[in-house]
Amino acid sequence: MTAIIAAAPPDVSREDSSRQAMRGRRIRRRAFVGTIVMLVLALLWAMPLLALLLTGVKSVSDFDAHGALSVPQSFTLSNFRSAWGVGQFGTAFINSGLITAVKVPIGVLITSLLSYALAKMRLPFRRTITFALLMGLTIPIFIAIVPIFTMLRSVHLTDNLWGLLLPYLAFGIPFEVLVLASFFRRVPQEIIEAARIDGASELRVFFSVLLPLSLPAIVTVAILDAVATWNELVIALIILNSPSHRTVPLSLLNFQGQFSTNFSGLAAGILIALLPILLVYALLQKWIVSGLTAGALKD
Amino acid sequence: MTATIKAERVGVSGPRVRHGRRKARNLRPMATSLAFAAPALLVYAAFLVYPAIYSIRLSFTNWDGLSPIKKFVGWGNYTKLLHDPVVHTAVRNNLIWALVTVIVPIALGLGLAIAVNSRIYLRPLIRTIFYTPAVLPLVGVGTIWGWLFEPTGIVNALLSHIGLGSLQHAWLGDSTTAIWAITVPACWVRAGFPMLLYLAALQGIPNDYYESARIDGASRWQQFRYITLPSLKGAHAIVFALALIDTARVFDLVIAMTNGGPGNSTQVMGTWMYFNVFQSYNAGYGTAIAVVITIVAAVVGIPYVRSQAKEL
Repeated sequence: MTAIIAAAPPDVSREDSSRQAMRGRRIRRRAFVGTIVMLVLALLWAMPLLALLLTGVKSVSDFDAHGALSVPQSFTLSNFRSAWGVGQFGTAFINSGLITAVKVPIGVLITSLLSYALAKMRLPFRRTITFALLMGLTIPIFIAIVPIFTMLRSVHLTDNLWGLLLPYLAFGIPFEVLVLASFFRRVPQEIIEAARIDGASELRVFFSVLLPLSLPAIVTVAILDAVATWNELVIALIILNSPSHRTVPLSLLNFQGQFSTNFSGLAAGILIALLPILLVYALLQKWIVSGLTAGALKD
Repeated sequence: MTATIKAERVGVSGPRVRHGRRKARNLRPMATSLAFAAPALLVYAAFLVYPAIYSIRLSFTNWDGLSPIKKFVGWGNYTKLLHDPVVHTAVRNNLIWALVTVIVPIALGLGLAIAVNSRIYLRPLIRTIFYTPAVLPLVGVGTIWGWLFEPTGIVNALLSHIGLGSLQHAWLGDSTTAIWAITVPACWVRAGFPMLLYLAALQGIPNDYYESARIDGASRWQQFRYITLPSLKGAHAIVFALALIDTARVFDLVIAMTNGGPGNSTQVMGTWMYFNVFQSYNAGYGTAIAVVITIVAAVVGIPYVRSQAKEL
């Protein structure tokens, strides 16, 4: 009797563990199948970009004979060479790089200062200012572009890369405030007060206490802002004119008009123009992905 | 005597001094906060608020955008707008745009989030691939899809490949299909953001909920219906609000894919405003179009702005 009782538990547990192993195997197999299905879907999702690549590296005659989705008969870089020359993408990269490199640090700095005032100081008209800033999230840029154009023209900043700076700063502020002010708000007030009691000036509190604590939010906002600045079209389209001042979106728009009948060249040009942003995304995607969700889902 | 005077003086001026000091103590942080806020607020006021208000004034003139003469024409631009056939097309296109690019990307994003959130390997890689289109410049996206939609392009080639050659079409060259064709890349670009948000929301649901539901014998559908969907409420609100606000901004894809054509059939409010101001020099009329689309966007956006302002 005791023997049976004693023997029974191990039996059950063996059965249990084998069942568990089977369940584990089934789950793993299902995860494997799910992964394959999702990879196929992801491949389909990336198809427009893959088609560009396949077309860009094949010769024009190969493309004419076999279409876009065939495996290239031979690998050529000639499309990229001619697209690079015609598209003047080098100039566009420099222009977009310059405006992004100047706009983003200034924008993040002035918006951080503003967000600190909104989140941690007694700013007069706080509610009104917050509302006016956040309304900037909803209104489309079209409402402002005519006066912006005439204002810049009157100070001879049209067809000048630096004419983009102030409007870009202004239109970047609402989103940056939304993310930064809500992040600053969650920095414990005690830390700020402790620094103030120790005699630190507000600037000191801002630079030595708040910014280091908020570095993740600052970096994310800077990256998202850089992507938006690099990609902006409307203001660049109305302000810039000469080929030597074009930013990346403008040079792509212009390039598309010139290469509309040469598919391999067009594909190569689009790829060249997209390469920097694709590289940045591949390197920084963690920040981009986490920042977007953090900005929107605050609780 | 002197003592009383002294006492009186102290009695009178003491509180006043203290009061004044307290006032100064209250004012200084306020001044500092204004100094912190000033640079950004000035840029915002000068290059967003002021131009926006000035545009409203311009919309009541017949200004051409160049000459110094601005004649006040009252509601003239707005009555003209009501009778402009291209505005009718643009309003219809903006509505189509709103309908398609709000619903489809959100549905796609939700489906992708659920799929990516299931037990799979390589989740970060797969999530990264699905979000990729969202970081590309819209002009680039438009150029790619314009190329795919070419009469001899890949879309038609694929159709004939799978035996649907009869459906081959000049997608962007035909005024009945062009605007719909432009919404396709928009959905491709926009599905990524709702996916990320829903994914974050899904990952926030405690696993115990599902476990206890399973113990209670809830089916997979019931688990989805009574646990998953209600937990996504916050994400739904944000995703819908941002998608709606964004619809007023449609511009880049249209410019890159059809430039408003064929025959103005793909004009939207933004592009038609641009064409009026910068190509046919009707700045007054163009700003009136901008005012209308802005009012619509602001009205749609106010609930979202309010909810965000409350949290700040």
